[in-house]
Amino acid sequence: MKSKMLKPLNKSRGQSSFFHLFVMPGMIFLLIFNYLPMFGLVMAFQDFVPAKGFFGSKFVGLKHFRYMLQLPDIGRVIRNTLIIALGKIFFGMILAIAFAILLNEIRMKFLKSTVQTIVYLPHFLSWVVLAAVAVNLFNLDGSVNQILSSIGIGKINFLGSNQVFRKLIIGTDVWKEFGYNSVVYLAAITGIDPGLHEAAAIDGASWWKRIWHITIPGMMPIIMLMTAMNLTSVLSAGFDQVYNLYSPIVYESGDVLDTYVYRIGLVGRQYSFGAAVGLARSAVATLMMVTANHLTDKLTGQRIY
Amino acid sequence: MFNRKLKKAAALTLAGIMTLSLWGCGSGSGSTSESSQETVTDPAGRGTVTVTMGRQTTANPKFPSGDSYEDNAYIRMTEEKLNIDIQDEFEAESGDDYNRQVSLALSAGTLPSMMKVASKDELTELYENELIADLTDVYNQYASDYVKAIYDSFDGRALDNVTYDGKIMAIPATASDAGTSMCWVRSDWVESLGLTVDEDGDRCLTLDEVRALAKAFIDGNPEQAEHPVGIAFNASLTGGTSDGTNTINAIAYALGAYPRLWFENAAGELTYGSIEPEMKEALSVIRSWYEEGVVDNQLGTRTWDDITSLLTNGQCGIVFGSWHIPDWLLNNVYTLNDKAVFTPYAVVSEEGKVNCTHANATGEFVVVSADFDHPEIAIEILNLFYDDLVNDSALLEAYPDVASYLNEGVDGTARPFNIEVKSNTYLLDEYGFLKAALAGEGTREEIPTAEERSNYDSIKAYQEGSGDVTGWCKIHSRTKGVDLLTYLTENDLYNWVTPVYPETTDTMNTSWANLQTLEEENFIKIVTGAAPLDEGFESFVSGWKAQGGDTIIAEIKAQLEQ
Repeated sequence: MKSKMLKPLNKSRGQSSFFHLFVMPGMIFLLIFNYLPMFGLVMAFQDFVPAKGFFGSKFVGLKHFRYMLQLPDIGRVIRNTLIIALGKIFFGMILAIAFAILLNEIRMKFLKSTVQTIVYLPHFLSWVVLAAVAVNLFNLDGSVNQILSSIGIGKINFLGSNQVFRKLIIGTDVWKEFGYNSVVYLAAITGIDPGLHEAAAIDGASWWKRIWHITIPGMMPIIMLMTAMNLTSVLSAGFDQVYNLYSPIVYESGDVLDTYVYRIGLVGRQYSFGAAVGLARSAVATLMMVTANHLTDKLTGQRIY
Repeated sequence: MFNRKLKKAAALTLAGIMTLSLWGCGSGSGSTSESSQETVTDPAGRGTVTVTMGRQTTANPKFPSGDSYEDNAYIRMTEEKLNIDIQDEFEAESGDDYNRQVSLALSAGTLPSMMKVASKDELTELYENELIADLTDVYNQYASDYVKAIYDSFDGRALDNVTYDGKIMAIPATASDAGTSMCWVRSDWVESLGLTVDEDGDRCLTLDEVRALAKAFIDGNPEQAEHPVGIAFNASLTGGTSDGTNTINAIAYALGAYPRLWFENAAGELTYGSIEPEMKEALSVIRSWYEEGVVDNQLGTRTWDDITSLLTNGQCGIVFGSWHIPDWLLNNVYTLNDKAVFTPYAVVSEEGKVNCTHANATGEFVVVSADFDHPEIAIEILNLFYDDLVNDSALLEAYPDVASYLNEGVDGTARPFNIEVKSNTYLLDEYGFLKAALAGEGTREEIPTAEERSNYDSIKAYQEGSGDVTGWCKIHSRTKGVDLLTYLTENDLYNWVTPVYPETTDTMNTSWANLQTLEEENFIKIVTGAAPLDEGFESFVSGWKAQGGDTIIAEIKAQLEQ
């Protein structure tokens, strides 16, 4: 979008620096709450003891990073995290895009906005609430299992089976977020020149053909951009969701980096270890972001920064 | 030009940040120690001694207006009786805040005359740095017989815990034995289904009786629940204390398994209870109950609240827990269904005994600074609060302020020492008075503590038809729960096991959370049939040992040899 960027206002520096003052509160906020705490990252390289503080704690170099990679469960945890996070990104995007395309076809304004509001709603609910709903629906005595057993499929222990737990996590998250995520795609669709559709219709292109050859290519830059942004969260599979739904039975398939670090780091009060994992994850996220940004730039000429 | 400005700004910002963070780290360490330097050692004629203290506080101490931690009825009484002047060197809320203050004092090497310490590790560190006074002589010389009897009721466990190289280095708080995890049964269901429980009337059930009862409850389903459940357990199946609620502890203990505890096994080797063969047997029992449907088919995925709602919905009529669960868990059942009545039973081993473990001696201590010239004052405060105040009614008459503190429930942190020093059997002793009063063999006035007197009032009111939930709770927790503990003690039905409670070792710091996860996950998988019993348990044990367990055992052994 380089071309669409605002041109700098043609005013003297003195005048524009006055306007820069408006940014100050935000910048100070950012400095205090986002940049200052980064100082705490030193604890990842220390044996941090709260009473001794950052300056009194002993430096131990990469000890906690080595320890992290040596943990017996780390392979399983990373695998779960990747599967769940990638599953959420992939299915979440597919569904959001499909939903946006379908919603765009609705001509009745009232119906469109009603549907939109309804599918947005779950996004605004916390997982603490939704997990309770999910547990009620999916436990062995829940309505889903009652339907399943009444149509002869038999009961499935969604919350306690390593075969289905990940699917449940991905499924419920996609359900919660797809409506909200579709907003950006809807906007992309509205940005497509209606003239193209009209021309294609006159040339006899079917609805499918028009979606395939006009709508989707038109959305492509946004899709690539969103993929790149989403990939940065490839190592966060959603703490609050998993934490509220999992149990020791499904550690094997459902234990993700966040919950693992929570149990090992916070409950065991290993602050340094928790910080080390957080830092490692941020490093991976940054790497993903840079790579994805580079790739999308190459493929579509679109970049995040 | 611009560049230089930027550099300057960056430098300023950095400096600002560093000042801020330094300031953040430094605050709180402000006051320095000024422990008193009196020279007179004769307790009777020793002039007014200034005693500086590290005090643990609470957010809502419920002081009458005007009173504070440094100036309240307890402190005033202490100052007057012992001719001392108490000054708080630091006050901090219990938990991290307080522990930080103690760490700071420790690292600075300047302690207040007396302070509370909330961890054994810190006590050891204080001893090793020679910052605390040896209390052996003053304890032997000044502690009252009653106070000594309290500590002796723990068979030496309380004082051993603070004894280093044969020297008593702190005043320990006491932690009474929690007693067994009881099997609380809906006795109104038993009645309505016409069942007989505990035919021999020994208030104990065997494992088979528990299983049969759970099965009868499912089959009978007295409240026509849609999905009756026999017995439900927490996802983490075992508990680290003998009375664990919603755990399989009672069943494991009956089979001689002591999960999550360290102790010497029959061969005299230090071991961890969860890896012993008895634990496998306990898991196999629960596994067979699960297969049979006696144990909740959603075992492992139910949260604590889910289990509570099983009880309140009338789906489940058996719950394992300590004597006090009526006060905070079963009260929910009564609130929704005032016909609910529970009766607790103990679960016995094949030999007909109730296996139980002694509680960890204590994790809280009061230490006296090595620089303080009157360590005997600490013992005098101990006598004053944990003997005189309990036994000498004249004292309360002389200090009506203190009496009103007791009646109004001003928080215990107001006392100079925020620790509890009570006999191992205090619960049973106090209940003895309540029982006598309820039976008409004693009076309300003879009940020694305010809490037990208020229990008496609640129970009386309930019996007169108030229907109040507190009365129901106290009837259950006291006249049934504590009564069962008393019964077990009096009839010598307990088989006591004394675990080893180690200090946190280095490997525990790094691996314990992981080992706990391993344990919880494997146990629940074995019980629910997701893992095979024999191989599953074997692989758990070998995994546990390999992932740090063996090292920890060796570390604890080294600790014990010290």
